[in-house]
Amino acid sequence: MEASDSADEFIPAALAAFGVEADEIELAVMGAAHELLWPPILELLSFDTGGVAPEPAPDLSQAPPR
Amino acid sequence: MSEPLDLSLRGQAAAIAAGELDPAELLETALARIEARNPAINAVVETFPERSREMLAAAPAGPLHGVPVVIKDEWPLPWRAQRFGAADMLAKTAPGESGPYRALRDAGAVIVGVGNMHELGASSTGNVSVYGPARNPWNLERCPGGSSSGPAAAVAARLVAGAVGADGVGSIRYPATYCGLTGLKPTFGRSAMDGHHMADLSTTIVSGPLCADAGDCRLLGSVLYGTDLRAGDAAGLRIGVIENEVSEDVALPVREACEKAIEDLRAATDGEVRKIELPELEAATLATVLIANSESLGGVTPTRLNNLDPELSPLGRGLLKYRLMLPAVAAVKAHQLRTMARRRLAEVFEEVDVIAWPTVPAVAPPLEAPLVELPSGTLTADAANVRGGALANLTGIPAISVPVGSSEGLPVGLQLQAAWGRDELLLDAAEALEGANGRRWVEAAPPAAAEPTEV
Repeated sequence: MEASDSADEFIPAALAAFGVEADEIELAVMGAAHELLWPPILELLSFDTGGVAPEPAPDLSQAPPR
Repeated sequence: MSEPLDLSLRGQAAAIAAGELDPAELLETALARIEARNPAINAVVETFPERSREMLAAAPAGPLHGVPVVIKDEWPLPWRAQRFGAADMLAKTAPGESGPYRALRDAGAVIVGVGNMHELGASSTGNVSVYGPARNPWNLERCPGGSSSGPAAAVAARLVAGAVGADGVGSIRYPATYCGLTGLKPTFGRSAMDGHHMADLSTTIVSGPLCADAGDCRLLGSVLYGTDLRAGDAAGLRIGVIENEVSEDVALPVREACEKAIEDLRAATDGEVRKIELPELEAATLATVLIANSESLGGVTPTRLNNLDPELSPLGRGLLKYRLMLPAVAAVKAHQLRTMARRRLAEVFEEVDVIAWPTVPAVAPPLEAPLVELPSGTLTADAANVRGGALANLTGIPAISVPVGSSEGLPVGLQLQAAWGRDELLLDAAEALEGANGRRWVEAAPPAAAEPTEV
């Protein structure tokens, strides 16, 4: 299923679940954002990061500890 | 001295310190120039002449004594709350002393105006703002870049010689490139940030300077960092280049200009070019977008989203609502990718001193339709630009965009990134590059900066 197809179902359903209203223009914007972001999000979700423990509170001003 | 505003930032500061330039006259000239030139470019959204005169009257003898500057609409001032370029920014704001304000004040600078920005800081283009878009001084129908659109357009049009921007996902470097400026994104945490409405939430946003060249960024950056960014030596520079879409899916004139600049930099520093690999880069780009967007959700509730100010653009309203739908598991993975990217970069920076690639893959697109043509096809400018801009924000490393060429009469920029804390090296490298090309690109002025100013 293409992102543009899933947007037609996913976005109204998600908005309804959150109790958030949206007009037609906002829905079109969300559809465009979904089309752009959702495929890489799905790729990200399939990315195996199981072995990576994220730095708990990374100090972004410095290199990570070895 | 007929046009003192056309001096560099450091030139203005030196002339005032030497008693050769009256800062009161300089301030009035800046205000007059804003009045004359700003209507065409909409870079400055508010001036406050009496406040500016009061700042000058109280200005200490600091490194920017009497020098006019612009600050982005992203920090409060004692007399003005920031609006974030938006009719509704989902955060409480109030006038106050922000970190960048205090840094400028204590350095003796005079804030002469507030710079426009893309609504909610949400784009690399600058084509949407509650104030109307800023326009690119090189071509008024083109995007100035975002989100620090106004600071960049103000410096490019020579309204001021330096401006303070903010960079959460490339937001200093994109407009620096589009407007032909040098823009420095500091190492995370090194520059003044307090008073920003996201200061305690964001792990990507930093303040930083936008100026014509690296020397001016060094001066204004030193003020924002609160420490002297000392000039060093870029001799023997090891330049890392990458073979993937960030350097190859690039409009040909941009690619050629950047490749020439990399070779110029290598030759100027008697350095070397090494190929590097960053397999995490593509995923890291999305991770940055997810982290930056989710960190801004703290003030969001469904009720609040149902009562957004109607003056907020439909784009802003739609994107705010879409952020609710970002899956939490993706945010967790984004943080894991951040760790992976940081570890990989730590290894890479043992092999090279800087990483170089085009700041953005194409020159400034039209305001009305910010699309770019790349070898892979037509993309939105945002989708194309984020590829090269996100890594520094995700990992915390410093980055700089340096003007290195021109295409279609619009500037081209090369981005250099260095290891954490090596901000000074980026300025050294940028100055070496300026020297290598005879300062041709940092001294180029757009048509909007050519008109004389009557006071």
